[in-house]
Amino acid sequence: MTAPGGMGVGTAAGEGLRALWVLFLVLGGAALMLAGLDTVPIWLHGEPRGVRRVASVEEAERRLHARVLLPAYFPDSFRWPPATVRVTAEDGGAVSLAFLALDGTPSLVLAQGLGGKGPLPPALLPEAAPIHRQSAPLGEGATLSRVVGEDGTLWSQLEWTAGGRRLVLRGKGSLEEMLRMARSVHGGSR
Amino acid sequence: MTATAPARVRMVDTRWLDFAGQAIFHTLIAALVVEALVRLWRVRVSGQRVALRLLALAWPLVALPVLFLAFPVRGADAFREGRAIFAGRRWDDVGFLGVGLYVWWVGAMGLSGLALFLMDLVPLLRARRGDPPSAPPSSPEGRRALATLVEVSAATGIERPPPLVFLEEGPPILYCTGARHPSVVVSRAAVELLDEGELRGAMAHELAHLERRDPAVSWALMGARALMWFNPGFQVLTRAMARDAERAADERAAAATGDRVALASGLLKLYRATEGRPLPAPRRRLPLAASLAEPIARARAHDIGARCRSLLEPAPERVRFGRARVVVAAAALFLLLFFVV
Repeated sequence: MTAPGGMGVGTAAGEGLRALWVLFLVLGGAALMLAGLDTVPIWLHGEPRGVRRVASVEEAERRLHARVLLPAYFPDSFRWPPATVRVTAEDGGAVSLAFLALDGTPSLVLAQGLGGKGPLPPALLPEAAPIHRQSAPLGEGATLSRVVGEDGTLWSQLEWTAGGRRLVLRGKGSLEEMLRMARSVHGGSR
Repeated sequence: MTATAPARVRMVDTRWLDFAGQAIFHTLIAALVVEALVRLWRVRVSGQRVALRLLALAWPLVALPVLFLAFPVRGADAFREGRAIFAGRRWDDVGFLGVGLYVWWVGAMGLSGLALFLMDLVPLLRARRGDPPSAPPSSPEGRRALATLVEVSAATGIERPPPLVFLEEGPPILYCTGARHPSVVVSRAAVELLDEGELRGAMAHELAHLERRDPAVSWALMGARALMWFNPGFQVLTRAMARDAERAADERAAAATGDRVALASGLLKLYRATEGRPLPAPRRRLPLAASLAEPIARARAHDIGARCRSLLEPAPERVRFGRARVVVAAAALFLLLFFVV
């Protein structure tokens, strides 16, 4: 036989556990609802989580609290300003500028990471399969690659370090112009 | 819709916008969680309901400022993009008429909150301006009211009964008033309307309000509502707290007089004699008053019905671990809302 006092303790413990279970369900449901709600603007806006599209280079600088490195030399074959400016706060922050050619096709991407010399966040600059890679005349560790872009065509890609940042210039223009652009990149921390 | 809101819109002081947005959204979530817990835990005692609802009410006034001051990291892009389970600012990425949806949402909610606040403030100010003249209780009805007040005060353990304000004219009303100098106001029509048991129950109900210092609490809540005028969830919650106060006073009165049915009957009679009637013409001057009057009247009727049903049932029992439930719910809410920015 179970003593009445023991039964009371058992019932109380069961009630306490049920209350905790209900609390867990309610808060879990709320968390799931919030997480679902959080994905709606991502779906509407078409950008992966962590990446935000901003209106201008100046707004990107305001968000990242740092000046964006820009090339002093900009070929006439591309349109200025950039068609899209995307920023992320991941890995210390990064920004990518996408430029269109005069005929309106995406032709040039300049991306840079503020968090050191590590790779750029893939959400900001999708990985491209390299076909050929060699060193580039842009300082130690700089590389020049031929990669397959998202559109399935071959792009040239320069990767180098300047001002303590990792920079990537991926484009379909002439290699000489890309190198000239890379060498003219300037700016730095405010 | 456009893909990106213009930069000039984002130049609005983002800290205040973030605070307002989070105050509104956090209150909504906290209120939904608390209401779900009240129902699923079957919390029926008003005091325990109030303790839980205070969690949601105190959140934007106490916990959110603490979060903003003690954890500024929550405002950083890295937290918003990486750790937050919900970031309201993400809705700013989607624009409508050149303004981000987040700004639209905060603006619409702010206007709703203001409307709810004014819906209660304006009648309150009007009522204070137009107090009817009172007279000393010299008539038989007045003496009967005073005698009942003294008798019920003794039954509820109140040594000095509050002053009675007796109104010779006007509709049947019975209420308590005064934060610093409390009194019970009753009209001749109310005394004539109610029988002995009903009058005792109604008086005990008003004395319970005074015992609980509800007039002072209601002014404090009004002050908090003024601070949170932009927060519709807060405005609705304070109304729920007022209903809880009514239920608590009902239970206290029923316990003091021992006649739950008489109290329910008195409540119904007073409601039918006042609120149940069509609204007088001067209150329909506002453009939307006629369309709003119907749902408001229905809500009041529903509330009176719920109170009467509750009085016709036995007194509710307290749930076990009441304080522990509040503490654990508060901790869990804090944990959840920390990641909602």
